[in-house]
Amino acid sequence: MFVYNLRLALLSMRRNPVLTLLMVSAIAIGIGMSTTCLAIFHVMSGNPIAYKNDQLYAVQLDNWDPAEAYTGPHDMPTQVTYLDATALMKAAKAPHQNVAFVSGLTLQSDNPAIKPYLIVARVTYNDFFPMFDTPFEYGGPWGNDADQGAQQVTVLSEETNEKLFGGANSVGKEVTLDNRRFRVVGVLKKWNPTPKFYDLENGALDDGEDLYIPFSLTQPMELHSFGNNSCWKDTSDHTFQGYLNSECVWLQFWAELPTAAARDDYQQFLNDYVKEQKKAGRFPRPAKTYLSNVDEWLKTNKVVPDEVRVLVALSFMFLAVCMLNTIGLILAKFLRRSGEIGLRRALGASRMALFRQYLVETGVIGLGGGLLGIGVGWIGLFGLRHMLSSDAGRAAHLDWTMVGVGLLLAVVASMLAGIYPAWRVVRIPPALYLKIQ
Amino acid sequence: MLKMENISKIYRTDVVQTHALRDFSLDVKEGEFVAVMGPSGSGKSTFLNIAGLLESFDGGSYTLDGEDVSHLNDDDRSRIRNERIGFIFQGFNLIPDLNVSDNVDVPLRYRGFKAAERARRVQAALETVGLASRMKHVPAQLSGGQQQRVAIARALAGEPRILLADEPTGNLDSLMARQVLDLIEGINESGTTIVMVTHDPELAKRAHRSVHVLDGQVMDLKAVPDTGKRETKGVQA
Amino acid sequence: MEIRPILSALLRNKTGAILIALQIALTLAIICNSVFIIHDRMVKMARPTGMDADNLFVVDMTAYSPTFNAESAIHDHLDLLRGIPGVVDVSPSQAIPLSGGGWSDGLYNNPEQKGANTGAGVFHMDEHGLNTLGAKVSEGRNFTHDDVQYQNQDTYIHPSIAIVTRALGEKMFPGQDPMGKVFYENDPKPVTIIGVVDTLEGYWPSWEGFERQIIFPTVFTRPNNRYMVRTLPGQRDAVMKVAEQKLGDSHDGDFVRHVRALTWYRDRNNESDHALLVMLTVMSGLILAITALGIVGLASFSVSQRTKQIGTRRALGARRRDIVNYFMTENWLITSIGVTLGSIFAVALNYWLVSLFKVPPISWYYIPVGVLCLWALGLLAVLGPALKAAAIPPAIATRSV
Repeated sequence: MFVYNLRLALLSMRRNPVLTLLMVSAIAIGIGMSTTCLAIFHVMSGNPIAYKNDQLYAVQLDNWDPAEAYTGPHDMPTQVTYLDATALMKAAKAPHQNVAFVSGLTLQSDNPAIKPYLIVARVTYNDFFPMFDTPFEYGGPWGNDADQGAQQVTVLSEETNEKLFGGANSVGKEVTLDNRRFRVVGVLKKWNPTPKFYDLENGALDDGEDLYIPFSLTQPMELHSFGNNSCWKDTSDHTFQGYLNSECVWLQFWAELPTAAARDDYQQFLNDYVKEQKKAGRFPRPAKTYLSNVDEWLKTNKVVPDEVRVLVALSFMFLAVCMLNTIGLILAKFLRRSGEIGLRRALGASRMALFRQYLVETGVIGLGGGLLGIGVGWIGLFGLRHMLSSDAGRAAHLDWTMVGVGLLLAVVASMLAGIYPAWRVVRIPPALYLKIQ
Repeated sequence: MLKMENISKIYRTDVVQTHALRDFSLDVKEGEFVAVMGPSGSGKSTFLNIAGLLESFDGGSYTLDGEDVSHLNDDDRSRIRNERIGFIFQGFNLIPDLNVSDNVDVPLRYRGFKAAERARRVQAALETVGLASRMKHVPAQLSGGQQQRVAIARALAGEPRILLADEPTGNLDSLMARQVLDLIEGINESGTTIVMVTHDPELAKRAHRSVHVLDGQVMDLKAVPDTGKRETKGVQA
Repeated sequence: MEIRPILSALLRNKTGAILIALQIALTLAIICNSVFIIHDRMVKMARPTGMDADNLFVVDMTAYSPTFNAESAIHDHLDLLRGIPGVVDVSPSQAIPLSGGGWSDGLYNNPEQKGANTGAGVFHMDEHGLNTLGAKVSEGRNFTHDDVQYQNQDTYIHPSIAIVTRALGEKMFPGQDPMGKVFYENDPKPVTIIGVVDTLEGYWPSWEGFERQIIFPTVFTRPNNRYMVRTLPGQRDAVMKVAEQKLGDSHDGDFVRHVRALTWYRDRNNESDHALLVMLTVMSGLILAITALGIVGLASFSVSQRTKQIGTRRALGARRRDIVNYFMTENWLITSIGVTLGSIFAVALNYWLVSLFKVPPISWYYIPVGVLCLWALGLLAVLGPALKAAAIPPAIATRSV
């Protein structure tokens, strides 16, 4: 019966190509617009590490100005100070914890053909790699001794390895960073999580860093953050060490807390830490700490800009207009065919059978509109990618999930649109249509 | 009242030419009740359309109520239809989405009457046909006979000089048909000229005289009503 | 006009009218809000920057040699750049205006730094800074060569004098002349205002403090150095090439990271806004087209369903223009219901956008203008089908079935 209905649907569409084209186009434009906006929203609101969502927590401490709270999630700074970061790392209360920041270093290659250039480095402990499941192509993270001893070792990104060593296994090779020799211990596979959940502060949709070096090099190399840096108090003495001891926040701190118990323990530890620091005269604001899992962190940091939300909302209204249009077109189409309806009823079709037939027909039209709509959406996203530089344009792309969503939306919306016309036309007494001259 | 002389109407397609009316002449005096009869295809519908200024014609002349209406533009024809002619259709042709009162009102709106005048005329017309109590009903709520009577009221509301009826009882059962015919007779008795197109001889008997149309021309029937013997000859009627 | 009977007929056959009215309502809501957002953003983007943005470019250099002497390198770079024909002026600059990234500070009116502070963007440039940007003090004076301090960023101590923008003056000292006044930045050392610039935009176009700037006479000595260069009109691109080449050849121990026009940074920062505007424009255009086509479609269908009725009206004396009038009036009624509903939708939508997102409240006149546009759209759309209806011959009335 379904296949029969399918055949009837296709026949009917062919009989009136102009009307069918209008219907399919109306749906396609609506679906295309919604798909474009939804695709962007989907990428930006994604959680690349969703499977570990309840194990990874961003740590916030309120060390801020007593006169005025920080403008940020939960009214607290999103980054921590060097003092707090090192203290928390030393305490090592969680199974894994990590502090990191972004810096810029001059890279000089041993290969004279490659001119010196500025790279973006993530300065981090080695916990970063297992915590965030970074995939390695060659080698692995540096050992704990490298972290303790501020060894000059590095893990390269896939792109950097490609540029410097042609993609070959470069473990053991050396590279000069800020006039110091570094040894390669590992090379990552291509890894650009979108959004960059572990550092939303400094370009949530940016590419991953060019390479990674141990955090303990911060002091000896006097590395400055190339990312956001906020201070509410002047640094007491104007030296680098003074800066490290200041209340300036510029570091991202994450803890891996695999169970609810671990989480509660760590929360308690943080509260105790703040109490202690308050006694020492720091943390002038009311004691406040916060642990956010990845989803919450993404949400409170508003990775999805308001503009995108507005566009998604408007695009749904747009789709509604297209569907209203479609209802009208479908109604017109069905009413014009009232003779056929009367005939089928006279030949014994029940109202339900005809209703199903027409619903299948609108479903088929919806599928056609959906397929065309995906095409329209693809064109829209292509256009957007052109308008946005590569980093921001990363969000404007169609994955298979979105294709599925788009098609489903098209079919469901069309069938919903077809319900009223089908019901209306099937209800009218057959005799009215079978006017015998 | 209605004087057609040598009217001809030709329908042209790419392939063929059909003479719907040829050399058609008819003279209806004021106050007459004339039946125009003929089988289907005889051209009586074409005659009605031309008489009602619904269609133009190719040859001959047509004088209506003393005015030569042979070569009028569309606006003038509409005006005359509105002011001088009343139509009664076989299929009633009431507007399904309007109630009885609004249906009768339609031609009056095009006339430009003010609301009070229109209301008065609608009331009077509906009283004439005996349906003043059904003013707010929609056509779907009325029987065939009632619908036709509303249509008659609509035709009367403008106080036309001539009523053109096209098979007025064709869609009605015999009881309703009799009612409608009585009504039409009554209207004629109060002085309105009536030209009725029909193929039903029973209906034609109610008219003052009958005119027969065949192949686009008026026929002269030297007929004795009861014997049914017929002799045809092309003649001015 | 026969509005009442048309209305009663519509009420008895509501479906088509409801579909169109709803489409019009949603379209009005979307159009009003979209056009408003577009206009609002465009106005913001067209604000005067206070600088000669089209003729400015930014040079970024990074040193790698361990023996790099920042201060002498900076002097060399400045001399080299100033010597290129077509260059009007050059200044070191810590950050890039209009780029979405830069330095900001909270400034206090009192030495204890208590209470509310005023956020402002901070420019660090030398005495050529204002001329390089293309700005001028309208009150007070520019920095002299002696005012400028070369400082290490780590040991940075802010200067005791600054030039501010009028917007900052207004915020910190409302109704008063900011000349000579002092403010405090992170410590009890006062900063005296020695000059006022009328307009100078800062780093973050979407920030409410975008017009508030302080300019410090500071040049940072670091391995990474940045210069703003202003050229004669039309010569920017040519000078950029020359600058890149000459700087690349000059020193050993440092390299040119990039030489980019200021407009490159500005446009990059505006990209997503620009993309939003394009999306909204496309959406608005399409929705008008779809609604118009919907009206045409449904009106044509309605005419074809009512052929007998139209013929009858003509038989009863309607002229062609009466038929056209009928359909235009019917459409106008439907559109009116639609825009009435739509006005409510538009306000509701705007209210929702304002409360949840950073959209400002809509100016009232967008709605009546939108209403007029949709009225016009509706009438234009229905004209075609109405004219076709008028062409239906009166003889149709007598055709049986």
